[in-house]
Amino acid sequence: FLYRLESQVSFNADEASVSVKECIEAIIGGLDYNQNKVNQWTASIVEHSLTQLVKQGRPFKFIVNCAIMQKSGAGLHTANSCYWDTATDGSCTVRWENRTMYCVVSVFAVALTC
Amino acid sequence: MDEFQTGEETAFVVDEVSTIIKESVEGAIGGNAYQHSRVNQWTTNVVEQSLSQLSKLGKPFKYIVTCVIMQKNGAGLQTASSCFWDNTTDGSCTVRWGNKSMYCIVSVFGLAI
Repeated sequence: FLYRLESQVSFNADEASVSVKECIEAIIGGLDYNQNKVNQWTASIVEHSLTQLVKQGRPFKFIVNCAIMQKSGAGLHTANSCYWDTATDGSCTVRWENRTMYCVVSVFAVALTC
Repeated sequence: MDEFQTGEETAFVVDEVSTIIKESVEGAIGGNAYQHSRVNQWTTNVVEQSLSQLSKLGKPFKYIVTCVIMQKNGAGLQTASSCFWDNTTDGSCTVRWGNKSMYCIVSVFGLAI
């Protein structure tokens, strides 16, 4: 009984990853980079991803971050560091691209302490 | 008066965090031009230095620090974040820094324990 309870409380990165990929595809799959729309796209991606994650009903706080960059030869580097409880908290990063842009989404899940 | 003091010690203070981040970025990449071979080390240094200074504050928070460094060459970059947390205790702060050859964007998310 205790084992089941414990496994429910750690973050499932694979599941989150699948959920996020679906959100990205639905919002920008097949589109070209458009400066006028990119604002809406990043907002939609983070909102939809967050909604899907919260629907899973797990006891976590979430932070979803999305960056969309036009493909023009520029270099882009990202890093993140977390000070948390490594037993229960976790993150996952999804990298997606098409012909004209890169999209990088990171999800951070922090367990709720009861 | 006691309550206000407790609030200060356990709240996410944006200005304080912002100052820490700016110092970490300046210390790690101030005065440098974008270099592909070093950028990996730079992002790591920025997040590690920031996190170490934040944990020294001794507040009851978990922290997430993200850093993006982008070369300036006309490309467009857009970022957004959405958070599902406790609005009364948790907070975030984003610092944008740039020089002639690159942009550096650092975000800190603090979640109360």
